[in-house]
Amino acid sequence: MKKAGLILFVGLLLSAGAFAGFYYFGTASCRNMMGEQQPELAWLKHEFKLGDVEFARIVKLHEAYLPQCAQRCMRIAELNDKLEQLLSKASSVTPEIQSALAERAKMRADCEAEMLNHFLEVSRMMPPEQGRRYLQWVEQQTFLNGQAMEQQHDHHMSNPQG
Amino acid sequence: MANQHSENDHALNKVLKQWPVNAPLPPRFQEQVWNRIARVEARPGTVTIWNLVRSLIETNLPRPKFAYSYVAILVLLGVVSGAWAAQREAGRLNADLGSRYVQSIDPYHKVAPGE
Repeated sequence: MKKAGLILFVGLLLSAGAFAGFYYFGTASCRNMMGEQQPELAWLKHEFKLGDVEFARIVKLHEAYLPQCAQRCMRIAELNDKLEQLLSKASSVTPEIQSALAERAKMRADCEAEMLNHFLEVSRMMPPEQGRRYLQWVEQQTFLNGQAMEQQHDHHMSNPQG
Repeated sequence: MANQHSENDHALNKVLKQWPVNAPLPPRFQEQVWNRIARVEARPGTVTIWNLVRSLIETNLPRPKFAYSYVAILVLLGVVSGAWAAQREAGRLNADLGSRYVQSIDPYHKVAPGE
C-alpha cells in the first residue's frame, strides 16, 4: 500500500502543479495589466497591439479628454438638478422647463459628439487595421449603437401602458 | 466447522508449544479468538466499494505501466483544467478592463450585470 499510496500522491501533486502552472502563466498578462497605474489603458495597448509611440500618443489624448468630459458631465448634472427643481414646482411644461430640457439635450449631444471625435482620434493613432477594429468595438460598447434608446422603444411598443 | 476449528486448534497448539510464554493466557482465550474471527467473517458489508478500490489500487498501481498511465492522465487533466480556468479568468479580466476603459470615456456606459 505504501508504494501505491506514494504513486497516488505523486500523481495528484503533479496534476495540481500542472493546473497551477497553466493557470498562473495563462492569467499572467491580465494580472500584470491589473497591476498597472492605468489598467484600462494597459488593456487598450494589449488588446489593440499598440507600439510604445502609438500608446504614448493615445495616453496623451486620453488624459486631455478626461477633464473636458468631467466638465461636461458636471454641466449635465447641474442641468439635471435645475430641471428637477423646475419639475417639483410646475404642474405643466413651462417655457423654463422646455429651455432646460433643450439645453440638457444639446449638452448631451455635444458630449456625444466630443466622445465620437475622441474615438476617431484614438483610432487614427492606431495601425489602420487595429483602428477599424477599435471603432467597431467602441460602436458596440457605447451610445453609438443606439441600443439603450431602441430598447426603450421596444419596451414601450410591447407594453404601451408603461 | 467445529471439526475444522479443533484441527486448527491442534496445529496451533503444536506451534504454540514451541514458543515458551511465561504469562498465563486469559480463560477461554482460544475460543474467544475463534469467535472474533467468526464475527468478522460474518459481518455484512465487509466488501465495500472503498475496499474494492483500495484493493485495485494496491494491486495495479505499483505496476509501472499503470503507474505511468495514471500519472500521465492526472497531469493531462491538470494541464487541460488549468488552461481552461486560465482562459475563463483571462476572458473575465479582459472584459472587465474593456468595460473600465469605456466607462472612463463614456459616462452613459452602463455596466451590465456580471460584467
